[in-house]
Amino acid sequence: MGDGLIIRDLSKVYYDVYAGQHVAAVDRVSLQIATGEFVSILGPSGCGKTTLLNIVAGFIPPTHGEITLNGRRIQGPGPDRGVVFQSFALFPWKTVLDNVAFGLKMRGMPRDDRDRIAREYIALVGLAGSESRFPHELSGGMQQRVGVARVLANDPELMLMDEPFASVDAQTRMTLQEELTRIWEARQPTILFVTHDVEEAVFLANRVIVLSARPGRIRETLQVDLPRPRAWRDLVEDAAYKALVARVLSLVRTTPS
Amino acid sequence: MTRAGAVARHLIATPAARTLGPFVPIVAAWAMVVELGVFPRAFFPGPLEVVRAFGDLVYKGILPAYLQDSVTRLAVGAAAGIALGVPFGLLVGLHAASYRFFWPIVIFFQAIGDIAWLPILLIWFGFTLTTMTFVIVYTVIFPVIFNTALGVRTIAPDMVRAAQSLGAGSHRILWEVLVPGALPNIITGLRNGLGYGWRALIAAEIIVGTSGIGFMMFDARRAGSVVEMILGMIVLGILWYVVDAGIVAPLERATIERWGLTKREA
Repeated sequence: MGDGLIIRDLSKVYYDVYAGQHVAAVDRVSLQIATGEFVSILGPSGCGKTTLLNIVAGFIPPTHGEITLNGRRIQGPGPDRGVVFQSFALFPWKTVLDNVAFGLKMRGMPRDDRDRIAREYIALVGLAGSESRFPHELSGGMQQRVGVARVLANDPELMLMDEPFASVDAQTRMTLQEELTRIWEARQPTILFVTHDVEEAVFLANRVIVLSARPGRIRETLQVDLPRPRAWRDLVEDAAYKALVARVLSLVRTTPS
Repeated sequence: MTRAGAVARHLIATPAARTLGPFVPIVAAWAMVVELGVFPRAFFPGPLEVVRAFGDLVYKGILPAYLQDSVTRLAVGAAAGIALGVPFGLLVGLHAASYRFFWPIVIFFQAIGDIAWLPILLIWFGFTLTTMTFVIVYTVIFPVIFNTALGVRTIAPDMVRAAQSLGAGSHRILWEVLVPGALPNIITGLRNGLGYGWRALIAAEIIVGTSGIGFMMFDARRAGSVVEMILGMIVLGILWYVVDAGIVAPLERATIERWGLTKREA
């Protein structure tokens, strides 16, 4: 059953201790991501987009609604959904190789096999030669490449990315974005990418979903039919790209709060 | 610069010279006060007498035997303290209900200092290794529990989530994430625990004593041998330095520093 991710009528209400009241973070969100699709979810800070991702990842339960991935109902975290974190969340006591091979080790794959596969993915993200280094010896950009390789090596059905490039510098961010599109174009993993950066959302995705401010509701869904392979050099002057960014920007700006 | 100067500078840079160097003026001042005859020599012996007593006690085999007794007691007590303290620290650090139940008990028993147990222990177990081990384990275990619990509580939640979404079950998360993540704190607890345990051991040997460095020092009082007391004090300091530089510091270099979990001071 390769029908991808289906989110039906998802809501999340939690109790805000500081405000002393119940707050709706996500409100009746329904969406579908087909296998091999790259979808960006975009919204202002506090719109519940990270909450949405955490529910899909299984880290927190929804208040209402149902999520299925390829026909199976989601309950709790699992290796079918790999997560790339804004904080990288690498294991500092493991080398790059052991970080990337972690998921395979959890499956009980023998050392030789998992190391061979991990090396492949380390090379894919451009880190060949850094296998035996520890995370703290790498720059932020390099650490997040490890974070991406760690998820890809585990071959998940869905890749969840939570503002993964928000804590690296602007130059590195553009390089990482281009590399992510290159990897997606080559292998077509299914990706749900959460960001508050309009240009990033449009540049990467096949489809951009704009959420309203809290409580997060789907405000608009836009198809991004820009040609691939995509590179910043070509797109910055591209009229279709600029028009799309302007359109999304106006949606984000006029979001009623 | 002369060659002799360069050689001298080179010598000063060796680890042995860096460790022993600061003690040169202290020993010199000590020798000078003795030579000036401010105090009667029997009450205030000089470095040479202490060295002679050291040679004498090593020759008779007393010092090596006592040293071995003290170090064995510390090692047994510390090993037991870690073996009990780390799992217990993990339990109260990770399991809220256990924390709520055990924490008041932990705090209560922490307040009863190790030495305060000695009277009742002497009744129960007499002047035995059991009494001694109890005191050391009791001293080592609290810093190990506190630091282990702190360690697992301060692991970034994203790290546990990452492991979960890579397919790790709770058992693998414990060994692959929580224990290594808490290791810097566990080592800190170990360092504190060993330091306190070492002091508790000497105190216990003074009171319980049938052998050991603490016993040697207290026993010297009967013979009025100040030189042996000073020798005992020096041995305590050197031994702790050896334990710290030879065990704890290498452990830290192999884990905390290698993993970049602390910022080394520039």
